[in-house]
Amino acid sequence: MVKMSSDPATTKVTPLRAQRSLSTPASQANADAQYWAEQMAAVALRRDMDCFMRIYDHFAPRLQRYLLGMGVSAARAEELVQEALLRLWRRAESFDPARAGLATWLFRVARNLYIDSLRGEPHWLPMQEGLDWLDEQAPADAGSSAEAFADHAGLKRAIDSLPPVQARLIRMSYFEAKSHSEIAHELGMPLGSVKSSLRRAFAKLQAGLGGVP
Amino acid sequence: MRPNHHLDAATLLGYSAGALPAAFMAVAATHLSLCQVCRERLRQADRIGGALMQQQEPAPLSAGAREAMRARLAQLPPAQPPVPPAAAAASDHDRLPLPLRPYFGETFSGLRWRTIGPGVHHIRGPRMEGGDLMLLRIAPGRSVPLHSHGANELTVVLRGAYDDLLGHFAPGDAADLDGDTEHQPVTSPGVPCICVAATDAPLRFSGWLARTLQPLFKL
Repeated sequence: MVKMSSDPATTKVTPLRAQRSLSTPASQANADAQYWAEQMAAVALRRDMDCFMRIYDHFAPRLQRYLLGMGVSAARAEELVQEALLRLWRRAESFDPARAGLATWLFRVARNLYIDSLRGEPHWLPMQEGLDWLDEQAPADAGSSAEAFADHAGLKRAIDSLPPVQARLIRMSYFEAKSHSEIAHELGMPLGSVKSSLRRAFAKLQAGLGGVP
Repeated sequence: MRPNHHLDAATLLGYSAGALPAAFMAVAATHLSLCQVCRERLRQADRIGGALMQQQEPAPLSAGAREAMRARLAQLPPAQPPVPPAAAAASDHDRLPLPLRPYFGETFSGLRWRTIGPGVHHIRGPRMEGGDLMLLRIAPGRSVPLHSHGANELTVVLRGAYDDLLGHFAPGDAADLDGDTEHQPVTSPGVPCICVAATDAPLRFSGWLARTLQPLFKL
């Protein structure tokens, strides 16, 4: 994929370990998730504008940073951020914190909007919603996936303790949308090593989620 | 349908990150539409993405953005009940998996196959950056020597089945290969095997098809 690597925004992507001054300690990650679920419940129940704007104030600038990192122009990124939050408002009733936390939900929507915008062919987001819908029809599994019972702190710890190379590959994937081949080329690593490092990173993060490694 | 061969974890992460080339996104989405196990794994990968996004240093939006958001919400018509999105699973046996329809049309019966060798047909997807997308149809009971060229190759079986040294691949199964895997699938007897495949394109786009299909002409 073509990246606008000359865009100064892409150089401002926060390193994985540089979030300490901005976010809460790992022990508070679970409380945070609970807090956002409550704000969202208020939006769903009574269209609470104040609660919505709290969500907006916290997440919009982070989504904006995320999209800038992906190479989206500032103006376009802002449109996508507004679109993602508009969808959140409209779909508030169907938001189920047991299925996905608010950060995960917004990440998915922003990612799908990014893909649609990249291709200039808006079919990806509806298709993804079709996939989500498949599982909404199935009875909720009481397994490890239920995010309401998930260990957010565990994931945060797992992210913070990734070895540097794995952290870098995860960052290049998630924050710069680099394909495996692009990463291999850029770092001068064999493609197989890139993929095996990502596999190991995923296993560690899954373990942090309390999921099946 | 319960696939036995799944997406590589690196592929899932790339999918979650929006970082796979478009052709691979389409083939991975096809497997996901047929595989509850991988949808579950994707949900985990998306939680990683959500956590990373939340850790990002905020980037300010333009001055009027906040008010514009409020104004948009105030102007919205009363909320309508959500319309269930089109189901991803094809209920009708003739329909292509939802993720492939934008590229190849709605139905298997509507596909216009081109012969590229005895018993072997294909349809090229639209041109995409970073990789090629194609459908392959191979007659039953046939041996097809294929090799990947040090690149990534992702195949999902849609109909029929084949066997190779990696096992038995039936509808929904994904063969997620990289490196110089040489494999010689043998299609199962009965019905033709239809697969969708994505391959990394080399820098010179034009040479890839010839090299990949070369062995097929020798059948």
